[in-house]
Formats: sequence, structure tokens, C-alpha cells
Amino acid sequence: MADYETKKTLDYKGLKCPMPIVKISQELPKVGIGDIVEVLTTDPGSLSDFPAWAKTTGNQVVETRQEPGLIKIYVKRLK
Amino acid sequence: MEGILSPAESAALKELFEKKLNGVMRMYLDTCARCGICVESCHVYASMPEVKYTAVGRAEVVRKIFRRYFRMQGRFAPWLGEVLEFDEATLNAVYDAAFSCTGCRRCMVHCPFGIDTQQVMAIAKALLIGADREPKVLSMLADMSIAKGEGIEETRADYAQALKNLEGEVKAIWPVPEGTSAIPYEAKEADVLYVALAGSHSIVSAAAIMNAAGEKWTLSSFEAVNFATFVGDSGKAKRVAQRIIDEATRLGVKEVAVVECGTAFRYLRHMIGPQKFRVVAFVELIDRYIREDRIRLDKSRLPESVTYHDPCQIARNSGIMEEPRRILRAISDRFVELRPNREENWCCGGGGGLVAMGELDFRMKSSRVKADQLKASGAQIVTTACENCHSQLSDLNEHYGLGMRVEFLSHLVAKALVLPGERFRR
Ligand code: SF4
Ligand code: SF4
Repeated sequence: MADYETKKTLDYKGLKCPMPIVKISQELPKVGIGDIVEVLTTDPGSLSDFPAWAKTTGNQVVETRQEPGLIKIYVKRLK
Repeated sequence: MEGILSPAESAALKELFEKKLNGVMRMYLDTCARCGICVESCHVYASMPEVKYTAVGRAEVVRKIFRRYFRMQGRFAPWLGEVLEFDEATLNAVYDAAFSCTGCRRCMVHCPFGIDTQQVMAIAKALLIGADREPKVLSMLADMSIAKGEGIEETRADYAQALKNLEGEVKAIWPVPEGTSAIPYEAKEADVLYVALAGSHSIVSAAAIMNAAGEKWTLSSFEAVNFATFVGDSGKAKRVAQRIIDEATRLGVKEVAVVECGTAFRYLRHMIGPQKFRVVAFVELIDRYIREDRIRLDKSRLPESVTYHDPCQIARNSGIMEEPRRILRAISDRFVELRPNREENWCCGGGGGLVAMGELDFRMKSSRVKADQLKASGAQIVTTACENCHSQLSDLNEHYGLGMRVEFLSHLVAKALVLPGERFRR
């Protein structure tokens, strides 16, 4: 499990559909290319949604971490 | 000249238009008597009285293009007026028409010819896709859903783990026997495939209710909502839905139960053709559990007055109107109706993709009539059975200072579940 220098932590806990993906698509372009953001969420679906979104937009999910009550997703801006 | 499309671009748009011209659509385009009965039906016009926000005003944009390219007079004598050429201004008008319409179909209920303005707007949306002017956020969400379907095996184990981590929240509402999963996933011999949304709120209460009813169910890997339908991209909409059809078929379930989401339900119930399974809305399932005495509900847990917002795609466009009322009468003595209600209910103003698109200012202004209706009910809680409506009602509540609480119907039911041996008030 790597440690990342994250540019931002985005708190998406408890958001309703489809706000996690809408918000990441608005927020990621605000950091530099190559930068990583940390997303905090409680949505199990985000573990499939974020990688799928990253694939279609040319970005990358570098890692996901889980504990009861919290999911962390590390997203790298590639484009 | 600026604003004029090239002949090739215009020809391509004309071809797209023509593809949508089936018999019903020609009837919609040819038969409007301009009687104006639909004018007052639209919540947008009722809240912001401008002609472009009437159903007939919206459809007229498409009709003028139809006359220009598909009718004798428009082709040979466009100077006679009442026609629109493909150019920048026309495409702007097409966008305004299509994406200020929530597709609620309240206008259709009142039109003497049954003209479906939402269907007419499907032409407008097809033209916008052809001109690369559709709302990009909606296309992005549709593309995400399709990519999720293609890559699901890569993330399945992580998703399964996240569901295990969530089980505690379900068990806190309704305990399950040791060794039993509170959120069954990929369960063999399940009767029901429950399709949720992004967000654990769409899983936890529903799981507790199904467990309480002793349902043999399993959770889908996919989100029910279909953003391609908002964009008007029928090809992508089919691919998004196909993920769930394939999953349900593979698991051999008898029913697909759709989370509280109007768009998802309407598409899966009405647009996917005959399948080996039935499609039910989650409110239908809850109603069935109550009628079959599979769950018991305690009325004393909901002391506040409560009203119900009929989601357009569940009520007017799918006929599910009595089920939520039976459920509410089982959990409350203080249920009050909104006026008007059922198929006459005002749209919340958040449909058609507007919530995902943001558009807060337009959504609030165009739904003043909804805010007035909620206020007039005097209820302390407004409940509904659609995620999109819930988001819009929450925004209206805040914007207009209504001081209500907005709740999902399933959440109220989960809070009222009576455990075996518990005392309760019927
Ligand atoms: S479908 Fe609804 S939003 Fe669209 S024109 Fe008709 S009443 Fe207005
Ligand atoms: S009610 Fe029907 S016929 Fe009358 S103006 Fe509206 S769409 Fe046209």
C-alpha cells in the first residue's frame, strides 16, 4: 500500500446519485496533470464507478482502500 | 457567414430528423390544433410565464424545422414564414426547448390529441447529439455506465468487500441469523434482483425491508439509473440497460426490483421488451409485503404529518399511484395529499437530467409552483419514491425556506419495521 502525496481530499460521503461522479469530473481538472486526489466516500458502487469513469476520461484510479464505514479512492489526473 | 451550418452539416441533421419520423411522430407534428390547452399544464410555464416554456411552444421549434425540410410549403416557399433553417440560432432554440422540458408528460394528460411533447423533444435531443451540443455531463455519465459494464469483473471483489463492510448498518435495522448475509450478492437461487444507485442510502433500508420480508434477493452490480435516456441517445440507453438484463438473466431471477428512481424504473419496465423476468418498482414490492403480512409496521414511529410527491415516471407515466398511498396509510395516521395529485401532480422540476446538469437557478425558478403546492399541504414531511425528485425537493425546501423534511418512502418504512415480539401500533 503506497503513500501518496495527495493534492486534495474530496469528501463525497453520503452524496446522492450521480453526484460523486459529477463532482470528480469537475474537481479533477482543477489539479495539475500527474497530481493525485483522495476521495472519501461511503458508496460501495464508487469502487466500480470511479475506475469506469477514469477509463472513459483517460484518467487513472491508482488505488482504493476500504474500512467499515469509509472508502478511499486515489485518482490521478492524466489528461 | 457566421451561424450558418454547412450544407453537409444540415443534410446530416435532416437525416437524423428523418430517422425519428415514424407514423406517431408525424401525427404529433401534424395534428396540433394550437388550442393552447396544454399551456397551463407545464410547471415551467406556470412558474415562468414565457411562451417558449409552454409545451406547444417547445414543440413548435421542432415543427418549424419539420415544415422547412419535410413539407412542400417549407421546401419551396420558406419565405412564407413559420419555418426554421438549421443554423446557430435554431440549434440554440432546440437546446432551450429540449432541456427546459423535464419529460414529465403532464401536458399530454391534458392535450385532446394526446400529443406527447416529451417524444417530440426526442427529435430535438437527437439533433443536438448530431450537432455535438448535448449536455456533456449526461453523456459522460452514460459512458461511465457502459464502461462499468465492460469492466465489472475487475472491480467485483472490491465491491463485494464494500457490501460486507456495509452489512452492519443493515443489521442495525433488521438482524439476520449468524452466517447469513445481510446484503446478498451474486446469490444463487435468488428470486429478486434489487438494482440500487450510487450511494449506500439506496441499499441499506431496502436490504432491511427485504430481509424482514424473508425475500430471497440479491444485489445488482450496477446502478439502475440510465443517463443515456436523458441525453436522448437510444443506442447508449440500450447498452446501459443490457447490463442489468444480462445480469438478471444469468442469475435466473423472477423479478428485477428497481430502487426508488423514476427514470430507471420507466425504462426497465416499459422499454426493454419481453424478458424472462418481471420488472417491479420498489414501492410495489413494499406494498406487496404489507398486503401479504410479510412485514409489520409501527405507526407510532412517525408522529409528524406527511405528504407524498408522485414522481412523474412512477405515477403518471407508469400508473403506480395507490401502492405508495397504501404504504403511507400503514405507517402514518397523518398522511395528507398534495393538491393536485396522482397523474395531475406537478412535476418536481428536476427531471430530464436537470439535477445532474446542475442548473440550480433554472430548477428553482421553474418550480415555484411546486414549492407553493408543498407549502399549501401544511405537511411537516414530504416523502417520495424517486432519487431525482428527492434531490430536487431538497433543493426546493432549502431555496424556498419550506421548513419540511424530505424523506425516501423506503427509509420511512425501514424505520417503522417491527421486530418479532415487539409491541407496535397498527
Ligand atoms: S413534458 Fe412536462 S416539462 Fe415538458 S412540456 Fe410537457 S408539461 Fe412541460
Ligand atoms: S393541447 Fe395539444 S393540440 Fe392543443 S396546443 Fe397543446 S399540444 Fe397542441
